[in-house]
Amino acid sequence: MHNTWLVIRREYLERIRSKAFMIMTLLMPVFMASTILVPTFLSDMKSGVTRRIVLVASNTAIAEAVQQELTAPPKPSEQPLRPKDNSGSPAQSAKPRYAIDIDTNTSDAEREKLRGDISAGKIDGFLWLSDSDLAARKVVYNAKDVTDFGESIELRNAVHSAIVKQQLAQKGMNGAEVETVLKPIDFDSVRIEKGKEGASGIAVFLVSFTMVMLLYVNVLVYGFAVMRSIIEEKSSRIMEVLLSSVTAKQLLAGKIIGVGAVGLTQIIIWLAIAGAFSLPGVMASRSMMSNVHIPMSGILAFGVFFILGYFLYSTMYAALGSMVNSDAEAQQVQWPAMLPIIFAIMLATPVLQHPNSQLAFWTSMVPFFAPILMFVRIMAETPPVWQIALCIALMLLTTWGLLGLSSRIYRVGILMYGKRPTLPELRKWLRYAG
Amino acid sequence: MPDTVELRGIHKTYDHFVAVDHLSLDIREGSVYGLLGPNGAGKTSTIRMMIGITIPDEGEVRLFGEKFNRRQLDRVGYLPEERGLYKRMKVLDHLLFLGRLHGLSAAESRKRSLAWCERMQLSDWVHKKVEELSKGMQQKIQLVAALLHDPDLLILDEPFSGLDPSNAVMVKDVMVELKKAGKTILFSTHRMDQVERLCDSICLIDHGRNVLEGDLKKIKSSYGKNTVQMQYEGEPPFDHDEFIESVNNYGNYVELRLKPGADAQQLLRTACERARISRFELMEPSLEEIFIDTVKQHA
Repeated sequence: MHNTWLVIRREYLERIRSKAFMIMTLLMPVFMASTILVPTFLSDMKSGVTRRIVLVASNTAIAEAVQQELTAPPKPSEQPLRPKDNSGSPAQSAKPRYAIDIDTNTSDAEREKLRGDISAGKIDGFLWLSDSDLAARKVVYNAKDVTDFGESIELRNAVHSAIVKQQLAQKGMNGAEVETVLKPIDFDSVRIEKGKEGASGIAVFLVSFTMVMLLYVNVLVYGFAVMRSIIEEKSSRIMEVLLSSVTAKQLLAGKIIGVGAVGLTQIIIWLAIAGAFSLPGVMASRSMMSNVHIPMSGILAFGVFFILGYFLYSTMYAALGSMVNSDAEAQQVQWPAMLPIIFAIMLATPVLQHPNSQLAFWTSMVPFFAPILMFVRIMAETPPVWQIALCIALMLLTTWGLLGLSSRIYRVGILMYGKRPTLPELRKWLRYAG
Repeated sequence: MPDTVELRGIHKTYDHFVAVDHLSLDIREGSVYGLLGPNGAGKTSTIRMMIGITIPDEGEVRLFGEKFNRRQLDRVGYLPEERGLYKRMKVLDHLLFLGRLHGLSAAESRKRSLAWCERMQLSDWVHKKVEELSKGMQQKIQLVAALLHDPDLLILDEPFSGLDPSNAVMVKDVMVELKKAGKTILFSTHRMDQVERLCDSICLIDHGRNVLEGDLKKIKSSYGKNTVQMQYEGEPPFDHDEFIESVNNYGNYVELRLKPGADAQQLLRTACERARISRFELMEPSLEEIFIDTVKQHA
């Protein structure tokens, strides 16, 4: 026991002190934050730029209606991916988003001329609203760059609502009636948890997805770390010295626990950083995440399934590491350990959408998928306790069995420096006395 | 007084390859014992079974007069032939770790590490990372690691390989000192000159079997003074079939093994007639001769 503790301690301290650990621990939150904040920030920047657009329509009423839609101050609900401005003074007041000209010439020659204008940079784009196109309900927007989906959606909405309003007005509705009919419905799906309202659907999805990815990455990264450290010990030949005072079992247990503790430490640091950033003051202005909160049960489940998943996968990686002699060789043999967890990730979305289906139940009971899929189910809709208990029991049993196999392979493999064993050789390894 | 190490018919097979074949040997307490043998003879496999790294298929290992158990390992120091350290660890941290694995407290481990590093002229390096050290220095650190817990039995597998002459002397002095302190040393090597200088007893292993074992002096005298070392100028002044069993030419001199009953004086007389002899010595065979001869007989 004392020896195992010393191995754990060495493994833990050497890793925690390494530069790689510090960089990874600090970089990951920066990366996660930037994937959320940078797009928001970029669209903020762009809203300061005025786009010059020509509306080409022989029917000036339509063109003016579209122009009005585009230049009217935007309603918050129509901008789901842009930050709300709680101060009440619209940021857009500084500059209009669009500068619009109306052109009534719908000839092909005019189309060519406008295309030339785009190339020359005189305008940013034009919207072709000829009578025939409108009758066919098909509108084309030409621009230098059309990859800004936000802009395309905005233009489409503007054209659509202008046409609908015009047609409703033709049916005899007045302006106020038209506004009422077209008022968007604020739709949100909210999860019921123990009879109370919990997080809303989109929030559950985002949080679950982020956490599942983190879980997946961490199980793999730390499982891989176990494998690499065994290869390193083999290739540096330190194994012999260690084995003169420690048993192979103590060494393996110490390594797996030590590396796992490093992983857990990293996750706790990340959660602390996430906690600090989601403090009310910091988060208020970044409203996109403000209605997202991670339930305590989710954090607990994350910890439990990280530990279980890590132990399961790292025992497999340990066996693989003791069979090979170099990192390059390891690349070739690691697929048996990667495949199940990648499969689990592919199943994550269907399970998240139907957390109570037969598929979700059976796949989440498979120990190799459980760290991902049972966690997803707990996040989506807490399954009955007996299912969670059964799943954890199955994982523990499988890990125990694998540990027995792995430690046998490990015990023989760490002293074998030659070529990789074939499957029949591996069977013999399992039978060696010691 | 029980022998420090007793191996009783230990046997180990890997797949169909017999690594160690019903091998028995005894190592007397306080002796320096040489374990010799050609490459792949089973020396390392024998040592591994001696200290429980692997378990014999058959036979028994006894240390310090008791059946092997892992508690005894705190009294054994091991310097393996395959050497390695954690490259990115600091030297002192590494020694502390290995010392504590052998049951020392952190404070004691630190004190002894620093003392030994001083002795081995490593003091300037204790706070450096292992990877910054030369190979020879890394090797001395491993020897220190094997000595930290003041073991009663020290197992050194090729302790001199890769050391420059001054470091080799330093290591040899340590061995002599430990022998004086009553420690038992098992010493495995290919270098016969070192064995002749340091060992009391030897065991020669070939194909996993003990082919020659005993007190070094007795073994040598049992061969009798049947070997001639001769230095001469010009062509070899002797015929192979006359008195001579075998010839070993070392360049500067030749070593001849005489046939049983051959007269060395006769050989000297015929040689004098044919060439100028600058040296002629009748002696016991060198260990190297015995080694090569014994291995040939069993091949």
